[in-house]
Amino acid sequence: MKEKLDRLTENLDFTLLFAVVFLCFYGLLVLYSSTRLAATGGSDPYFFVKRQSLWALLGFIFLIIIIFIDYHNLERYSKVVYFGAIILLIIVIFAGRSTYGARRWLAIGPFDFQPSEFAKIALIVFLADFLSKNKPKLDNFFYYLIPFAYTGLLILLVFMQPDLGTSLVYLAILIIMLFVAGVKIKYLIFTFLAALSSVPVLWTFLKDYQKNRLILFLNPNLDPLGGGYNVIQSRIAIGSGGFLGNGIFSGLQSQLNFLPAQHTDFIFSVVGEELGFAGTILLLGLYTIILWRGIKIALEARDLSGSLLAAGAVSFLFFHITVNIGMAMGMLPATGLPLPFLSYGGSFMISNLIVIGILLNVELHKVKW
Amino acid sequence: MRESSTVPEDVKQRLNWLLIFMVICFSILVISLWYLQMIKGEEFKERAVENCIRALVEDAPRGRIYDRQEKLLVSNRPAVVVSIIPAEVDDLEKLSERLSRIIGISPEEISQIVKNYRENPFKPVKILDDCKTNKIVEIEERKDELRGVVLEVKPRRDYLYHDFAAHSLGYVGEIDKEELQQFNNPKFQGGDIIGKDGLEKYYDDILRGEKGGKEVEVDALGQEVATLLYQKPVPGNDLILTINRDLQLYGENLLFGKKGSIIVSDPNSGEILALVNKPSFSPNLFANGISSSDWQRLSSDTEYPLTNRSVQGLYSPGSIFKVVTAVAALEEGITDRKRKIYCSGTFELADRIFTCWKETGHGSLSIVDGIAHSCNIYFYTLGKDLGIEKFNEYMQKFGLGEKLGIDLPAEAIGTIPSVQWKQREVKEIWFPGDTINLSIGQGYLLLTPLQVHNIITIISTEGEVCKLHLVKKIISADGNTVKEIKPEIYKKVDFSSDTFKIIKEGLRKTILKGTGWRANIEELAVAGKTGTAQNPQGETHAWFIGFAPYEDPEICITIFLENGGEGGEAAAPIARAMLEKYFNIKN
Repeated sequence: MKEKLDRLTENLDFTLLFAVVFLCFYGLLVLYSSTRLAATGGSDPYFFVKRQSLWALLGFIFLIIIIFIDYHNLERYSKVVYFGAIILLIIVIFAGRSTYGARRWLAIGPFDFQPSEFAKIALIVFLADFLSKNKPKLDNFFYYLIPFAYTGLLILLVFMQPDLGTSLVYLAILIIMLFVAGVKIKYLIFTFLAALSSVPVLWTFLKDYQKNRLILFLNPNLDPLGGGYNVIQSRIAIGSGGFLGNGIFSGLQSQLNFLPAQHTDFIFSVVGEELGFAGTILLLGLYTIILWRGIKIALEARDLSGSLLAAGAVSFLFFHITVNIGMAMGMLPATGLPLPFLSYGGSFMISNLIVIGILLNVELHKVKW
Repeated sequence: MRESSTVPEDVKQRLNWLLIFMVICFSILVISLWYLQMIKGEEFKERAVENCIRALVEDAPRGRIYDRQEKLLVSNRPAVVVSIIPAEVDDLEKLSERLSRIIGISPEEISQIVKNYRENPFKPVKILDDCKTNKIVEIEERKDELRGVVLEVKPRRDYLYHDFAAHSLGYVGEIDKEELQQFNNPKFQGGDIIGKDGLEKYYDDILRGEKGGKEVEVDALGQEVATLLYQKPVPGNDLILTINRDLQLYGENLLFGKKGSIIVSDPNSGEILALVNKPSFSPNLFANGISSSDWQRLSSDTEYPLTNRSVQGLYSPGSIFKVVTAVAALEEGITDRKRKIYCSGTFELADRIFTCWKETGHGSLSIVDGIAHSCNIYFYTLGKDLGIEKFNEYMQKFGLGEKLGIDLPAEAIGTIPSVQWKQREVKEIWFPGDTINLSIGQGYLLLTPLQVHNIITIISTEGEVCKLHLVKKIISADGNTVKEIKPEIYKKVDFSSDTFKIIKEGLRKTILKGTGWRANIEELAVAGKTGTAQNPQGETHAWFIGFAPYEDPEICITIFLENGGEGGEAAAPIARAMLEKYFNIKN
């Protein structure tokens, strides 16, 4: 045991861990600012902060557990994890709690749990295992398509909820992991072109509100009261922050509820308004540390499967960060992807920390114990 | 111990590429943030402030209008407006359908109104104005399923007697684009209610009051979070009219179903006691913003219910004008108390034959009898001797061709023929026959009933004419007198007292023995003159002007019936009824 702890202190990436802890506190502060006046918590201004803290705590417990399981053992169960995710996603379609016309949550006791979040991790684990075992065969185009089939099944299931944003996350994880695994670039280009040409077909599968979001992304002023409203208000909030922001708790837009979903999807706008350019750069800086350490871990991993696990973890976080911030600034369509460590939400917070756990795990096991 | 990594080189290379890609993406984010926050920061800051600071206008209650005995005529009542706040609506189609079932406007129309409004999603969009009480109750009861629907209470102008004195009172409406431009005053804003006609327009400045307002901080739902500034509205001042409600109502009933005007005034003060115009309309129709169907109906009505006949309508005065001819002839020495003129029933001038209304002729008449029997031949003779220039001089002395300055908008000045006028307008020279026609108030001459009324006022006061007016007093909302309108001598007309005496005698005899006998009242000495004016529109206009009591005039009266027939038959009995009513009320 002593030896294990020694190895831990010797090999654990404290820079990464520190950045994550810092981010969690940063997130709780901003969350408090954006929800202290909200009506949902009744008279308790800490309602959201308390719950989010609890989830973060739970997430850290998961993180610690994950650290101690050698990822090679984890990969042994990759198929179980993958099919477990599939089963949960099927259950949620039939028995999930429905909000805003989408079924995304499963109730576990007093908490709601989002299987599609768990499925992100399942996908990373599964793909790392599959791609590392089959790397040489990936030069064969038909073999290259097999991971698409596995991922496609997940995408199909979340699409039925419907949840466009999450299905895009699965796709992003797949593409980035395939890229890192060394598949031929021309295959990826070919896939991209094929996807592009199928857009008109996919369009017909989109729900009206999803189509609207895409149209409104192209021109938010078409409907400033409806879908475009979020983006316009969000841009105003971020822009009005200036260099140092209006000060925490004093954003006009956020404190007066002009920002919809300001504690979930649009929490970045609160950072922008209240803490200004300084605050957003600090946030991006912390994310940069995490992603940079993630790539470093992938480079230094003991074997291909570890490297791919780390790459998957990085792609998950990277995609969420970029799309969420891009959306808040009106550069990308509003897909409803939350911002890691900041957006309010239990399943997401826990899955973020599990992903960090995976990174630390790969780092820790770069040497044989 | 550390073993060398087995990660393939190509994977490491790809990882480096991934790192570069992420650096590029983050750089784009940083540059965008720099642009948004550092370069555009100030601009967005302004927009953020605009977003949540609202200037809310609080309308001042418009002044009320009372009759001379301070009986309420026009007031304000609360009207409930049903609106939708677009930002609070989840499902517009569903909401429209639910609301439609209550208020009876089609769901398509409701959602169209909301969709067409694109300014501020938190500003209520008006769906139904002046909602009925039972509907309000139903909306209140179903509040939960009608999220986004709000009820706002707004003051609404309320004309208590509907079409009562409508042309004098006028109506109010929302200020339009042209008016906004015309006033060019920051005091006025789109959506303001202003007087559009009648006293509402003439005294708009006094009635309107001063808008108050507040600057509030609002949250995203438009709910007020804090008040930053507050200015209380100053209510408009009230008007106390010279109109006597009961006399006016009586007059309106007398003209029920007819076209025409009744004017009753106190010649000693210029106060108008009754100003009836028929047909009329209800100014309440305008108070809610008139519907296009109502507007269509009113504006295309061939009876012209919107026209204020007494101040805007131009009519041939007929024999009423003989009073002017008589005054001119007496003043110019063309005739006197003694001169007699023989009426054979016809009058010849340059091959043209003019007839008297009495075909068999009146025989030999003095001026008093000439007036009493309204003999055309008598006045043809005077007119021929006077000539058009003298007519013009005396018409001017009677104030014809100019505004009398009554406190109503758009007063007409009449059509006053002269040599130059005919040259200009008809492109013909003035014929002697034109003067003959003019001498009995026919031909080109057109006057408003108010101008005609002014003629009798001049006679009754023997030249000391007070400005005719409708407002007696202006009082503030808390009852203090702001201004009292004192009688104002509008014009001193100096004809000799003998002239006035002879004319008055003629007018008295008209009632006692002449064409105005139907206006005779046993216990009251009435003096007056009838008129029956031919006009191109058809049936003759019936006129009556008069005053009473004969010795010491208290009131002057003018009756005008458009295409109403004979003055003596149709107008005189109405004058009699009005006079009786007046003296009844007084006693």
